[in-house]
Amino acid sequence: MVDLEKLRTVARETISRDDVKYLIGWRQGTYGFRVSPCFIKEPGEAEQLIFSPLCTNNLASYLIVMEKLPLPRGEQPDTRKVAVMVKGCDSRAVVQQLIEQGTKREELYIIGCPCEGVLDLKKVEAKFPHILDPVTVQWGKDKIIFQLPEGVEEVPREEVLAQKCLDCRDPNPVIADITLGEGVQAWGNGEYQDVQELEAKGAEERWSFWEDKFNSCIRCYSCRNVCPMCYCKDCVLDRLNPSWVYRSSNVSENTAFHLSRAFHLAGRCVECGECERVCPVDIPLMKLNKKLAKEVEEKYGYRPGLDPEAKPLQSSYRPDDKEDFIL
Amino acid sequence: MERMKIGKEKFGDFLTALDKQLYAPQKVGETLRFVPVTPENKLDLEFSNTTVPPKSVLFPQVETLYQYELGKTDLNLPDGGEERVLVGVRPCDARAMAIVDNLFSWDIDDPYYLAKREKTTVIGLACSEPGMNCFCTSVGGGPASTEGLDLLLTDLGEVFLLQSLTEKGKRLCQEAEGTLEQATEEEVTSAEKLHQEAAGKIVRNIDTGGISEKLPELWDSSLWQDVSEACLGCGTCTFLCPTCHCFDIQDEAEGLEGRRCRVWDSCMFSEYTLHASGHNPRPTRRERTRNRVNHKYSYFVTKFERTACVGCGRCINLCPVNIDILNILAEVIKEAI
Amino acid sequence: MSEQQYEPNVVAFLCNWCSYAGADLAGTSRIQYPSNLNIIRVMCSGRVNPLFVMNALQQGADGVLISGCHPGDCHYMEGNFYARRRFTLMKELLDYVGVDSRRFNMSWVSASEGAKWKDVVEEVVENAKEAGPFEQFRRNKINW
Repeated sequence: MVDLEKLRTVARETISRDDVKYLIGWRQGTYGFRVSPCFIKEPGEAEQLIFSPLCTNNLASYLIVMEKLPLPRGEQPDTRKVAVMVKGCDSRAVVQQLIEQGTKREELYIIGCPCEGVLDLKKVEAKFPHILDPVTVQWGKDKIIFQLPEGVEEVPREEVLAQKCLDCRDPNPVIADITLGEGVQAWGNGEYQDVQELEAKGAEERWSFWEDKFNSCIRCYSCRNVCPMCYCKDCVLDRLNPSWVYRSSNVSENTAFHLSRAFHLAGRCVECGECERVCPVDIPLMKLNKKLAKEVEEKYGYRPGLDPEAKPLQSSYRPDDKEDFIL
Repeated sequence: MERMKIGKEKFGDFLTALDKQLYAPQKVGETLRFVPVTPENKLDLEFSNTTVPPKSVLFPQVETLYQYELGKTDLNLPDGGEERVLVGVRPCDARAMAIVDNLFSWDIDDPYYLAKREKTTVIGLACSEPGMNCFCTSVGGGPASTEGLDLLLTDLGEVFLLQSLTEKGKRLCQEAEGTLEQATEEEVTSAEKLHQEAAGKIVRNIDTGGISEKLPELWDSSLWQDVSEACLGCGTCTFLCPTCHCFDIQDEAEGLEGRRCRVWDSCMFSEYTLHASGHNPRPTRRERTRNRVNHKYSYFVTKFERTACVGCGRCINLCPVNIDILNILAEVIKEAI
Repeated sequence: MSEQQYEPNVVAFLCNWCSYAGADLAGTSRIQYPSNLNIIRVMCSGRVNPLFVMNALQQGADGVLISGCHPGDCHYMEGNFYARRRFTLMKELLDYVGVDSRRFNMSWVSASEGAKWKDVVEEVVENAKEAGPFEQFRRNKINW
């Protein structure tokens, strides 16, 4: 459990440091169960910070989305640190970014927040519809406590937590300059149940499932834009010269887009679930990414985002890697 | 304005009598969107609003502009396809269609959109339970607004009240005459009462008066940095906005054949204003957010004397980082004082 | 179209130093093998991008083959090791999505293995024949 007072004190101290530019955290949103990422620049603003089951956003995405504009002549780049609050999955994203040198360790001040799971807003809004006033939500013992306008509701966590949290094996930040609160126990067993369910089906059934999903894709690129690991300046799936994947939305192009993106994330995806959360047409992208995460773990014993000294998966090899399908 | 009514159990017959391609909200997986249906499909008209707006029917995500084949000299040009009827369009989305009509017949007449629009009849469904983030009344609309609609249905429990609003709507009613009955005075009054109650149920309101004049003065304000910091440039707001209409033109080739098509584009993407030289006049999310708000609430007003926002609330519901247009407008109003 | 008339179209990416030379040896030795392969020469199997495989399938290939030097013998030292990792994952991904796993093949064929090349080609073409014409996510102008 993260004590809010401690969080805000730590935030105030952090932002008062000379070497910190701003702090990225979460604050209450504009209605109901929403939460918005906020960028604290003054100690006085630290009062807004919260940490609760509502904090679904992966703040590691902001470390790589910051635009780096050309500087006016004579001006030096501002290399002060960015302080960022991370949950377990977010910290893995930060580590993976460090492995790939997408960010620099000395430019980060990481505030670790052990997390007991965040809510799936679709499940919550179905259970408690039409709540306009901002709500407070807390973790209880195996349950989530909602302070709604009409009273307090306690719900078992399986009913409202995001699926990725129910399978989580890394609830405690794997990297941090300071950790708020006690470590929590992981619930996930690493069995990749939902992937196994799909694997058990026949090839035709699998294609029929995925064809339906890829048909509904509207190529909004939200999945790619929110992903903390997708930070290529020029995404290959968007390029026109050469044009690998056309921009129109049909089964052929959408399949190529999603499979290529999943492949680019092989050994890099930290399973933070943001892609699936933001998809406006509810494509189960985690099923695709988790499949590759499972293969990478089984075949190469590697889980991305845990060891900052590790070599990226696809830039390394072992002479005895499996090759049973090779003629 | 004729007032007819139809029992819900006869609605399927009404649709069959129309003898046109129908589009109605259906769940595709978990998402509610407008898809082609047949009258036999069970139409569930109890919904707040679709995720993907009905613009996807008239202005589809991908639309072929022309096809070619090497060696041949004919090009197929658009004819709008078959006659179609959209059923269950909410008044906000219908107003959005009227707004987009303006755009596609402004400096040149877009033959693709207009050909389709000609052949489309829109049957609207008045809202009785507005969504939490709906604010149509703040931008000149309402739960029973008739703009952009040819027919308006009001759900009275056992029956739908039908209001015919245009020539197209009248013709449609004539085609399905056998299934319709005259509505009673009582039914008409209770429909009007429902409309008023629905307007009263809208919880989020804002006074948008004068915003279009205030916005240009706030060009250099620091508020744009504050409201856009959390933006991830995902593009969801623009893709699901019923009035957003930006598109990109792409060429696709397959051996000896090819096509030129247009696909949805978004001003929130970083490449949207990227020049071939590498310069980008809207390099960060701050400029792009500022542009989007200005476009909807200021530039469009200057050109067409109406706001390009219909208050459907989709951008608020679906923004993953809770960037709330009503919040932004409140900041604008505060700053302008 | 009857089974006998369907001739699969297989796209093959051959590494310049080993597999391409091996295929060439098969040719100069006048070894007869099916002609369904469309060969694309790349300098190393490690150069092959999974996007090539996706694109080949989109453009109508019924099967794909990637062939390189034996592990340890790569002309560029390690290219085929990376390719091995990459395409192990790619094969799993394609299979998971429901694409017939017989369509995607990989082989190690050295410059002296003309005879092996014949066997590889026969197996790959047989696999593609069994899997049938590829229609799942082919770029199909009917969509237009």
